[in-house]
Amino acid sequence: MEILSNLGMGFSNALTPENLMFALIGCLVGTLLGLLPGIGATAGIAILIPLTFNMELTSALIMLAAIFYGSAYGGTITSVLLNIPGESESAITCLDGYPMTQQGRGGVALTVAGVGSFIGGTTATVALVVGGSALSVVGLEIGPPEFFALVVFGLSLLVGLVGRSVTAGLMSAALGLIIAMVGIDPVLGMPRFTFDVAHFFDGLNFVPVLVGLFGLGELLDTALGRTARPRAPRLRELLPTRGDWRRAAPAIARGTAIGLPIGIVPGITNAISSLLSYSVEKKVGKHRSELGTGAVEGVAGPETANNAHSSAAMIPLFALGIPASPAIAVLMGAFLQNGLTPGPRLFVQNPELVWTVIASFFIGNLLLLLLNVPLVGLWTRVLAIPPAVLTSLIFMFLVLGSYAVRNSVIDVWVMLAFGLLGLLFRRVEIPLAPLVLALILGPLMESALRQSLQISQGSFSIFVERPISAVLLAVAALLIGVSLFGTRLKKRRLLPADVDS
Amino acid sequence: MSQKSLALGAALAVALGLAACADTSSSTADPADAGSSAAAGGFEFGDMTLVVGYGPGSSTDAGARLMAAQLEERLGTTVTVQNQEGAGGQVGLTALAGAECDGNTFGTINFPSAIVSVLDETRGATYTRESFSPVALMVVDPTAVAVLPDDEIQTPEDLVEVAEADPGQLQYTTTGVASQEHFAAIALEQATGTTLSAVHFPDGGSQVKTTFLGGDVRLFIANVSDMTDLVENDQARVVGVMEEERSPLLPDVPTFTESGYEVNMSSSRGFAYPSCAPEAAVTALSDAIGDVMEDPAFLDQMEAAGLAPAYLDSTDYAEYWSDREADFTEIFDLAFEEQAP
Repeated sequence: MEILSNLGMGFSNALTPENLMFALIGCLVGTLLGLLPGIGATAGIAILIPLTFNMELTSALIMLAAIFYGSAYGGTITSVLLNIPGESESAITCLDGYPMTQQGRGGVALTVAGVGSFIGGTTATVALVVGGSALSVVGLEIGPPEFFALVVFGLSLLVGLVGRSVTAGLMSAALGLIIAMVGIDPVLGMPRFTFDVAHFFDGLNFVPVLVGLFGLGELLDTALGRTARPRAPRLRELLPTRGDWRRAAPAIARGTAIGLPIGIVPGITNAISSLLSYSVEKKVGKHRSELGTGAVEGVAGPETANNAHSSAAMIPLFALGIPASPAIAVLMGAFLQNGLTPGPRLFVQNPELVWTVIASFFIGNLLLLLLNVPLVGLWTRVLAIPPAVLTSLIFMFLVLGSYAVRNSVIDVWVMLAFGLLGLLFRRVEIPLAPLVLALILGPLMESALRQSLQISQGSFSIFVERPISAVLLAVAALLIGVSLFGTRLKKRRLLPADVDS
Repeated sequence: MSQKSLALGAALAVALGLAACADTSSSTADPADAGSSAAAGGFEFGDMTLVVGYGPGSSTDAGARLMAAQLEERLGTTVTVQNQEGAGGQVGLTALAGAECDGNTFGTINFPSAIVSVLDETRGATYTRESFSPVALMVVDPTAVAVLPDDEIQTPEDLVEVAEADPGQLQYTTTGVASQEHFAAIALEQATGTTLSAVHFPDGGSQVKTTFLGGDVRLFIANVSDMTDLVENDQARVVGVMEEERSPLLPDVPTFTESGYEVNMSSSRGFAYPSCAPEAAVTALSDAIGDVMEDPAFLDQMEAAGLAPAYLDSTDYAEYWSDREADFTEIFDLAFEEQAP
């Protein structure tokens, strides 16, 4: 098989001590970048590109790619242990990851997330090797109408996230949608809810909003003596039990199945994969009633989906030359600056380089697993820091991270304001999940709807004429119907079984 | 505190240190140079700051960082790149307009956004053309129109013919209302007397390309530098370039001017001081940038980064600015006339 011999050649190049070292450096730097909210892979890679000018090209690309997926892991650590989401996709990890930490199971959450990420990332890389070009053609079939249908499908799962009080859930979702409205109207070009502040023209940045709601909200709540302070787990509590694995395995499988296809579509962010995975767990998971209170599936599914998405996002880069996310666009810039144009022709022009870089994806994923699982013990020690010190460190972390997003103090004020809101939400028991869902899906839904209507010249039939969109909308309608009708049935007959499980 | 938590503290410190680097990363951090000042062309420069109104990794940022590294060498001082992104460059321009007048803070200027943000009253810009003192032009990236390789539109004339046959049905991509691509299409409509129809993608590049390559929108309007990769992979064919002369990146593609349609549209990038900066600093920096732009090695670097070099000194750049402002004033209102479906 030609693919296998190419990949074999790639591995023999990528496994030189020098390239291995650069992959390791990349993984470490990426993890550290991910630890701090506000500094993600995009800025990290952009700033480090000049350092690679004097490096051998293959090594440089291996290192930059390793930073890219390493950063996703760093975000997991702060989300699980400190309730600080570094990127919008990690906000979903907070939902169950932090409650697990409060129960002394933070180490389990991190280990499961690491293994899930490895499985998701590796599976997506196999897809890149085996069927990259075929899959990318499918990605091109996904236009604005399909985006819109996908979002409607996501919203149809909202019912599961609402929680005990429907009113509180809807309030939370509505607020999320309003936050998503801030910025320049995508079709008319007029500012909305910006209060004439130019900083808000691009909308409220997700990072300070989420960091405030989750991180500061929790910090205030704990400082004011409501929630239990998490404790550092003992050594034997770090490893997941057989029962944990039995629960996590199906979530990891489902997370891979969600993140992989969605990652192939350029323009859909990781957060949407994580969110869909969480919603699906909430819908079909065996222990779905525990989700939100520290269920291992709530970490395993979204984290796997997130990494499968990141790795799958490399498929349009190599197969079509389209960068699927801002971080990959910067990575593509590194290729271009060295006279290489990512795309189908690169496999012909420079197969050795392409296959070496692809082989390095496998190695990088493995390195991250080997690095992070043993380090879980070290990371969880952060909880052993005396509370007074830890609280001030976290606060500094929150302020610095919000500032770093755009080098702007306004984002710090935004973070503080949302921190107070987060405290309020906790005190009056409004769930945060619907807000996150609306915040992430809202802008995509709006622009996809309006772009579709521009393409169809105002006709709504575009949504049913296109097969993918029609199917997604039909499934969404079915789901909404079933949950409206099903809740009544469940209350009568299935409730005991549900509680039991 | 146990040893482990100390190790963690160290790890955190590294992470924070990295963050600090990201805030204001100097392109070279040679301690010997730091703090020194140097005379160049009759002006004494101190440690300099270059305000970039776009994020790290953007094309503007890439060009600015290349230039900053060269200026450090030539002026013998430090030039720190400071990213102040937001509102399509408006946040950076606001910061630049209010910067200190000592000739040590300058910033990037992008057209059309620096002009449009002033013309558009809803944006409430606190600066005008007079707030800045132009230093030098560095990059001009002409706008072009592309189609899928198997499209029947081959030349600018074909394009006009198709547009005339079905007014308002031929669709094109933009990166948002009043974006440079949007204005380019309006200028094209004006010059050819046709009516096209816009599909706006304010969220950026990858969605535009997917929608175009997927065949949902027929015309892809963008800068030449955004198209060269698609052309190289035979995924798109460029119909015409909106510039008087052919682009060196696409020597075989005709310009609209050649076909008799006067459409000149490009995005350009240069540098400016706040208007209060000393005249001597403007001249000295303008000359230093001119010297850099004559260095063949630097021009190779620019080309590799997909940046088309186009130097103008401070006087010519000021004139270029006024001309572009006049162009945009003429067509500005048309961008907001179309109604959403």
